[in-house]
Amino acid sequence: MRQWYRIAFPRNYLDRRKRAGFLFVLPALLFFGSVFILPLAQSVMYSFYKIAPGGAREFVGLRLYEKVLTDSTFWAAVGNTLQLLLLSVPTTVVCALAVALGLNRIANLKWRNVWASMYFLPFATSLVAAALIWQWIYEPVYGFLNYALSFFGIPPQKWLQSLAQVRPSIAAVSVWVRIGFDTMIFLAALQSIPEEYYEAARIDGADALQRLRYIILPMLNPQIVMVCILELIFNFKVFDQVYATTQGGPAGASQTIIMLLYDTAFKFFRFGDASVMAVFVFVTLMAVTLLQWRIFRKPVEY
Amino acid sequence: MKRSARFTLVVFAAAVVAMALPDVSIAQQKKLVLWTHWEQNPEFNKWYETKGKEFAKKTGYEVEVVTIPYQGYEAKYLAAFMAKNSAPDIFMGMTHQWCGQYDFCDKMPADLEKIYDQNLPKYMADVGKWKGVRYGIPIEHGNFQQMYINVDMFKKAGLNPDDPPKTFTTDWLADMKKLTIAPNGGEPTQVGFAIRSKGHPVGITDKFLPFAHAWGARMLSPDLDKATGYANSPQMVAALTFFGDLVLKDKVASLAFGNPEDAFGQKRAAVIFRESWFFGWVKKNAPDVNFKVYALPCEKACPGAGALFPWTDLVYKNSPNKQAAWEFMRFISNARDDMEHHQMQGILPVWTANLDSDYVKSRPDYQSTKAMLAQPVPPTYFHPKSNELATAFGEAVVGVLFGKGQPKPLLDEAAAKMDRILKD
Repeated sequence: MRQWYRIAFPRNYLDRRKRAGFLFVLPALLFFGSVFILPLAQSVMYSFYKIAPGGAREFVGLRLYEKVLTDSTFWAAVGNTLQLLLLSVPTTVVCALAVALGLNRIANLKWRNVWASMYFLPFATSLVAAALIWQWIYEPVYGFLNYALSFFGIPPQKWLQSLAQVRPSIAAVSVWVRIGFDTMIFLAALQSIPEEYYEAARIDGADALQRLRYIILPMLNPQIVMVCILELIFNFKVFDQVYATTQGGPAGASQTIIMLLYDTAFKFFRFGDASVMAVFVFVTLMAVTLLQWRIFRKPVEY
Repeated sequence: MKRSARFTLVVFAAAVVAMALPDVSIAQQKKLVLWTHWEQNPEFNKWYETKGKEFAKKTGYEVEVVTIPYQGYEAKYLAAFMAKNSAPDIFMGMTHQWCGQYDFCDKMPADLEKIYDQNLPKYMADVGKWKGVRYGIPIEHGNFQQMYINVDMFKKAGLNPDDPPKTFTTDWLADMKKLTIAPNGGEPTQVGFAIRSKGHPVGITDKFLPFAHAWGARMLSPDLDKATGYANSPQMVAALTFFGDLVLKDKVASLAFGNPEDAFGQKRAAVIFRESWFFGWVKKNAPDVNFKVYALPCEKACPGAGALFPWTDLVYKNSPNKQAAWEFMRFISNARDDMEHHQMQGILPVWTANLDSDYVKSRPDYQSTKAMLAQPVPPTYFHPKSNELATAFGEAVVGVLFGKGQPKPLLDEAAAKMDRILKD
């Protein structure tokens, strides 16, 4: 309390510096608070109420939690989301790392930047626009993908209209969009690895695979963990691609948690139920993120 | 404080004051904002603005039409109504949803209500009403599915386009088989029936319901308070079995053909069940398709003129301009404007006086509409939770189409879910 008083009414130079620092972060704090903390608190509160648009509220305790968490549709959406995660996250991370390793070998800075920009372009595209383009690519009758596959004698596939293929198809869109961003992170990290480590390894007789395993991957550990966390969060919250293409179909095969949350809130106007789903997403992501950070993050020193 | 910092502070303060002061120098044009999600009917929507210019000469209020994409329109409406300050004055919606489930609608003035009660076709009497009170103006007569056939494809298959099939399980199915072309028994390149299998389950329910009603089934009890015993009745199971077999067994419809309207317009499907507005859509988007419109086939019963989505124009209860909004509604509530409005887009007019006009008689769906209206009125499901109920039901329909299960267990599951929704 005394500290806050000293910030509000500084007595000396140090107090003034503290106040200046506080004022600098205040706009970001206010923004973060209003955009994140307040809605989160509101969601948690709403999850205990049955709410009708227009304001009428009825406190129902944990009834909505019981209702949502025993709903087979909810768990089907969780299952779909997990499947998308398992398809997208490892693929994105591995492909991004591979691309970054490849880009790192390009000695010519100009060409490296050109290739890096090309990989980054999908990330700069709106997700909805990307999804609509891919929807055309995946079109069973007139789509480019089936047309290309026909040259190899592969019969037309249903892609987004197939129960089995819809999730991998959507995962492919996510990978295509995200790979550039992750590549940039890995590339920056690769370029910060001192050349002496590679030299020492070469002198010791390490081949490329051994250098990758014993130098590159350990040195990239913080970035790999961070990218995994970011991809996990992104893919857990996947909505745009699904909304723009399949709307959760066919037959609910691509209905994700957020898609179900959206329908529950804005099509069925069940804000209490939707708030329970939002709390579930938050708690799950928080728990998994902390777990990843604790378990997989390793300090490395050479 | 340095001079530059003082100067910056003064400019910033002046800007804040300037923005905070009300701008009295420019008189703002009064306007009514109308939201519609009928994006497939742009001429129909534009008419409101055109008419608004005439209205502005009398009252000073222009009309601005905002087309909200249909996909996700509920979220946009809801956000606007709950925020209040960015809500439309007039909006297109379903009465039982926006006035029934949620109290967002203003009650229609008595004099206007009387006009509509006197001039609407009998089967539309309840459209725009909730618990006997009128809130909205129905905007579409013929908001029930009819059978559009591709005349050239019928002739090519050796069928008579002037003698349409009358019964689902006999001549209709036989015709669909003749119209389907599947080279070497593989995937069809042309199907008899353009089936709706994509998108939200609500829409799929809407397209399946004529089949259900033709088999004598109904989705909910007459009081709309129970689903078990109705949504999973033996008649419903039979209807859904037939519907699913179109794709799975008879193969006269295909899930790979995407949007059914596009399939029909691109001459990949010979028959589609769609509402009267589709006539205008085909004329505009697929003018080379030679088509005719007929009443839907029957089975144990005839599907009749029913719809899951009774669209109406409604006035927002908290609109600061609601008096002007009702004035505008009065301004356009006459037979002449009704005719002009709907003719512009190729849609059937609403007023009874216009139903035997030259325009309507010249339409290809004139006879079929009369035939459908002559059939008994099918069940309606104007329940506040109709979206959620239709979604739960539609999940069973889609499940059958995609081979996720048999009709009976899927319908049992759907009925149980619908009952939970009704009880909640």
